[in-house]
Amino acid sequence: MSGVLRRHGPVLLVLPGFVLIAGLFVIPVALLVATSFEDQAGAFVHYGRILAETSYLRVVLRTLLTSAETAFICLVLGYPLAYRLDRAGSVGKAVILLCILIPFWTNLLVRSYGWIVLLNPQGVVNVLLRRWGLIHGSLPLVYNTAGVLIGMTQIMLPYMVLPLAAVMSRVDPTVLNAARSLGASPLSAFVKVYVPLTLPGALGGLLLVFMISLGFFVVPALLGGPRDMLLAQLIEFNVNQTLDWPFAGALSTVLLAATVALYWIGERFFGLRRLWGAA
Amino acid sequence: MTSKRFSDSFACGGASRRQILRASGASLAVLMAPAVLRAEASELVFATWGGSWEAAMRKAWFDPFTKKNGTEVRTVSGNTYGRIQAMVEAGKTEWDVVEVLPDFQWIGAQKKLLEPIDFGVVDKSRIMPGKDMVTEYSVPQVVFSRLVAYNTKLAPGPATFADVFDSRKFRGKRTFYAKANGAYLEAALLADGVAPSGLYPLDVDRALRKLSTIRDDILFYETNAQAEQYMRDGEAVIGLIPDGRALNVKNHGAPIELQFELSFLTWSAMVVPKNAPHAKAAMQFLAFALTPEAQAAIAEAYTYGPVVPKAFDLIPPERAKILSGGPQTRGKSIVMGEKWWGENLAKVTEKVNAWKLS
Repeated sequence: MSGVLRRHGPVLLVLPGFVLIAGLFVIPVALLVATSFEDQAGAFVHYGRILAETSYLRVVLRTLLTSAETAFICLVLGYPLAYRLDRAGSVGKAVILLCILIPFWTNLLVRSYGWIVLLNPQGVVNVLLRRWGLIHGSLPLVYNTAGVLIGMTQIMLPYMVLPLAAVMSRVDPTVLNAARSLGASPLSAFVKVYVPLTLPGALGGLLLVFMISLGFFVVPALLGGPRDMLLAQLIEFNVNQTLDWPFAGALSTVLLAATVALYWIGERFFGLRRLWGAA
Repeated sequence: MTSKRFSDSFACGGASRRQILRASGASLAVLMAPAVLRAEASELVFATWGGSWEAAMRKAWFDPFTKKNGTEVRTVSGNTYGRIQAMVEAGKTEWDVVEVLPDFQWIGAQKKLLEPIDFGVVDKSRIMPGKDMVTEYSVPQVVFSRLVAYNTKLAPGPATFADVFDSRKFRGKRTFYAKANGAYLEAALLADGVAPSGLYPLDVDRALRKLSTIRDDILFYETNAQAEQYMRDGEAVIGLIPDGRALNVKNHGAPIELQFELSFLTWSAMVVPKNAPHAKAAMQFLAFALTPEAQAAIAEAYTYGPVVPKAFDLIPPERAKILSGGPQTRGKSIVMGEKWWGENLAKVTEKVNAWKLS
C-alpha cells in the first residue's frame, strides 16, 4: 500500500484537481466549441454569419480593447496602492485591505447602480464640481465608455493589487540597499531594480484583469452607452432570448480564440511564461 | 432549532462521540423530514420574475389556489428561457409553470420545450380576443402596455408619435428599452407615417432611419428599474416604458404624466415546460388563474390588466381606469405583433445592434 502511495503519490495528488478542471471546465468548453460547428447547413454557418455582419467583429474588438484598457488603468492605479500596502504597518495594511475588499464583496448590481447615482449628470460628482465652479453643465461620466471603464476598474482593482502585493512582499529589501550603496539614485534603484523584480506581479495582474474583463456583462449594460456593447451581452442574448446556443457557442469560440492568440503573442514576444516561474 | 441543538451538543465539553453522533443523526432526520413531507403533499413549482410581482401573485393566486385545491405553490426565480432549454434537454425538468414574454410562445414551441395546454381543463373561451394570445402551448397571464410617459414640464406633452420623435418641439432625452422588441421601432414607423394596420412585418431599415433623427437624444434602459430612475431624475423627459412602472414613478411624487393615447399592448404568458413533474396540477392552476375572479384579484393586487374581459365586472371603476385593456386604452392601444417578433427577434436584433454600433 505504502509502495503504491510512494510510486504514484504525485499523480494521486494532482488527480482531484485534474478531475475537477477536466469535468467542470475542459469538457464543457469542448462541448461548447463542438456545438458551434453543429448545423445542418454546414459546419461554418455560424462563423460565416459572424464574418458577414461586421458588427460582431466590431464587438469582439471592442471587448478586447475595453478589457485591455481596464487592465492598464488597474495597473496604473494598483501599482502605487500595492506598494503602499506592502510598506504599511499592520493597522495600515488592514485598513487598505478592507478598503479594497469591501467593495469586492458587494453585489455587482448594487455597485453599478451606486456608480449611476454618483456619476449621472444630476449626480453627486457633477453637482459638487458645478458648486465649486469647476465645470459648467455636466461631465459625461456615465452611459458611455468612461462609465464602463470606471465601473470595471473598481471591480477589477483587487485582482491587480493582490498579486502585485504578493510579489512585492517577496522582494528582498537588501537588494535595493545594495543598489543604493553601489551609487544608484533612489529613482534609478526603483526603476532598474524594484520594477523588474515586481514585473511578474504586474504582468500577472494585467493578465488576470484582462481575462476576467472579457466576460463582463452587467457593468457595460448598465453603465455604458449603446456603443458599449461587449461580447458577453451578445452571448447572453443568444443563450437566454433566442436560444440559439450554437451561435452563442460560435461567439464564445471567437472570443476564446482571440484570447488564446493574444496570450500566445504575449508569451512569444514578452515572455509571459516568466509569470509561472518557468523562465 | 436543529442547528441550535446541534451546537448545544458540541458546546458541552464532556459529550462523548456517540452522543454527538446521535445528536447529529437526529438533526439530520429533522432536516430531512420536511423534504419528505413536501414530496408527498401535492406541489407545484412556479418559475417567476420575482419581487413585488411575485408577492402580488402569492396573494391573488397562489394562496387561494392552495386553499381550493390543496396544492402548495412553490416559487423559484430566474425564469430565463436558457434554463428551460437546459432543463428539458438534460431530461430533468423541475418547473411546472413558467411565466414568460410572448416571444417564447413560438421560440419555446419551435425548440420543442413545451407541453401542449390541456384545453379540456383550461377554458380559453373567456380569454380576450386577439390573434396569437392563446397558442397550442401557452395561455396569456395578464396584459400590460408600453406607453409614452412624459415629464410634466413638457405639458401638454406629446400627443402623437411624431411628437415623440420631434426633439425640437420637445427638448430632452427619450428612454427606450434596450432590446429590439421594446416597441420603439413600431413607434418610429408610426411617427414616420405608417398606418397601425400596416406595421407588420416591420420595415426595420425605415424605422432605424427615423430613429437616427433623434439618435443623440436616446437613452436605452436595460432594466425597468433603470427606466423608472431616468424618468424620476428627469434625465429622460419622454419614455416608452411599462405602464405599471410609469404609474409607480408618478405615485411616488415624480412630475410624470401618462399618455394613454400612445400605447402598445402586450402580455405575459404562462407555459408548461416539457415533462413538467406536476403537469396535471399545472393545468389546474392555469384554469384557476384564468377565472374572472382570479383575474380581478391580480388586477387589484398589481397594475396589470386582466386577460379575461369578464373580470372588469368585478373591478371597481377607479381601478379599471388605470389598467391596460381598461376603458382608458381600449381600442386605442396598438397590439404588439408578438408572433412576428418571435420569428424575427434574432435577425432584427442584429440590425439594431449594427445601428447602435455605427
